[in-house]
Amino acid sequence: MSNDMNKTNDVMLDIKNLVVEFKTEDETVQAINGIDLKINKGKTHGLVGETGAGKTTTALSILNLVPFPAEKPTAGTIELDGVHLYKTNEKGECVPALTEKDYQSIRGEKVAMIFQDPMTALNPIFTVGDQIAESVRLHQNVDQAKAMERAREMLELVGIPAKRADDYPHQFSGGMKQRVVIAMALACNPSLLIADEPTTALDVTIQAQVLEMMRGLRDKFGTSVLMITHDLGIIAEMCDEVSVMYAGRIVEYGNLEDIFDNTRHPYTQGLFNSLPNIEDRKAELKPIRGLMPNPADLPKGCAFCPRCDYAMEICKTVRPERKWLSETHCVECHLYDDGKDVSKL
Amino acid sequence: MANETKRDILLDVQHLKKYFNVAGGQLHAVDDVSFTLERGKTLGIVGESGCGKSTTGRAILRLIEPTSGSVYFEGQDISKLSKEEMRKLRKEIQIIFQDPFSSLNPRQTVSQTIEEPLKIHGMKNKAERQARVRELMETVGLAERLANAYPHELDGGRRQRIGIARALAMNPKFIVCDEPVSALDVSIQAQILNLMKDIQRKHGITYIFITHDLSVVNHFSDDIAVMYLGRMVEKAPAEALFEEPLHPYTKALLSAIPVPNIHSKKERILLKGEVTSPINPPKACRFASRCEYATDKCRCEEPELIEVKPDHFVACHLLKKE
Repeated sequence: MSNDMNKTNDVMLDIKNLVVEFKTEDETVQAINGIDLKINKGKTHGLVGETGAGKTTTALSILNLVPFPAEKPTAGTIELDGVHLYKTNEKGECVPALTEKDYQSIRGEKVAMIFQDPMTALNPIFTVGDQIAESVRLHQNVDQAKAMERAREMLELVGIPAKRADDYPHQFSGGMKQRVVIAMALACNPSLLIADEPTTALDVTIQAQVLEMMRGLRDKFGTSVLMITHDLGIIAEMCDEVSVMYAGRIVEYGNLEDIFDNTRHPYTQGLFNSLPNIEDRKAELKPIRGLMPNPADLPKGCAFCPRCDYAMEICKTVRPERKWLSETHCVECHLYDDGKDVSKL
Repeated sequence: MANETKRDILLDVQHLKKYFNVAGGQLHAVDDVSFTLERGKTLGIVGESGCGKSTTGRAILRLIEPTSGSVYFEGQDISKLSKEEMRKLRKEIQIIFQDPFSSLNPRQTVSQTIEEPLKIHGMKNKAERQARVRELMETVGLAERLANAYPHELDGGRRQRIGIARALAMNPKFIVCDEPVSALDVSIQAQILNLMKDIQRKHGITYIFITHDLSVVNHFSDDIAVMYLGRMVEKAPAEALFEEPLHPYTKALLSAIPVPNIHSKKERILLKGEVTSPINPPKACRFASRCEYATDKCRCEEPELIEVKPDHFVACHLLKKE
């Protein structure tokens, strides 16, 4: 028992068998189809995948902000630092385990999120100082003057002069707006930071500055990070562990060496082969053929089967189970079923 | 310089400028850009937002009128052509836009969209037009059953294929590709890049490829031009530029690319500060405020683009011709 206790204390986020479905009048969109994801304290977990893979929906589930028409996960549990965010009721449905007020106190204080587009994440009619101070006042019992002081401190921390706290968002460039958003997210010292494509809207030299700064702050405060991105380059730079997501499933999970040097899933391999190799400009691109499946009409077996060069008969009908290849590396692919050659790719 | 005559120059841009009048004065979007482009080759233009790369592409095609400068297409100065003459020439010079979501008419089907340029340029026979549409759809890999689909029914990759088919319709010699894959996922991006390369190989088309993605431009281009705040700061063959970037900005830009390789031990040059305003820029090197090597000369005199090595052009006071 005591061993178990210690174990949970290391875990910041524990998602088990999360399912999110959006039911509309004529179809059910299966956004997330049973994922497990665990982030230990102080670690950065990369979630990589293409448009529509379910990355952002995963993040919104943690904050209990799943949009209409689902509004909550269909099944599964999420534990944040030992606290259950969802529970299963008598009918077997997944329901929020906390009151809306509790979620509000979690959002911003325990879990903060950085959104992709800093241009729309800030309110144009308040100064950036006010906006940072607002989240401080919501979560900490301080007066406006104290909160503003904290806001200025945070701005300095992200490399913006404190005197600019009185400026409005339109007076900042894109890179600086994203820094403001990061300052706001970190103002209450969250234990978990969700960064949803934090640098996608930024130029590459500015991206380098922002990533460097995020790395510094993460290490300074020991924040756990869920880094959502489509860019494997950013994963390589920022993360300890990686989950590769495809059509609402985590198809491969491992540490950096597992994913980058011992790639096992054909989809992960396809992602790498699609990227132009900066060290070898003559190398031909090998795109993944075909398109993402319609999430309202997923293939019966493995969702990647129609695009996979290694697909076998079984892949069409049976969804592959998770298979652990080592203590740190797992994959959902029939190529690695028992008795099969595990070094296939 | 001696072998210049042997080269088959398709496009020769001289002192191209585009200034916009804005509230605070004049915005120098493109400021004195000159380059030549050989037939059948690809020139990549890279730079960050606001550096003037898209404006350069559009000013060459006169989709926006340049403030001054000349654009010679097959020896003819197209910046002097009348509207009517220009319209005829548009068969030869085409553009593929960045966003396949906003560059297609939502009320036209795939075949109508591709057919339109054929109509405009006088292909009168309907059967002939439809045969050409089918041929183009096959070239860009669009299934025939999609001929009557509307853009909203298609994903980004397929929409971009329509944009490419439309650009190819009149057998152009030259296409400006303005961030053609930026809106697409990597697996789809690779499909489109391969398609565009195939088309170039088959039809000998010359491309200007505008992008902010350095690994894509490296893969796709023969020559690469780097722009910064309206100025071309470096131009070189792709290999030379990536192996031995000379301009301090190019060096920083290349070092900032996140590489999807956990063993890559790249030294990162972090730039200080942000891009300065292109409105009424001072007579100085525009990169001087962020450059760690900047001298007094850089702050009061604008460097010219000079050829420091064969085919390697740089605009920087620190570099002299070898």
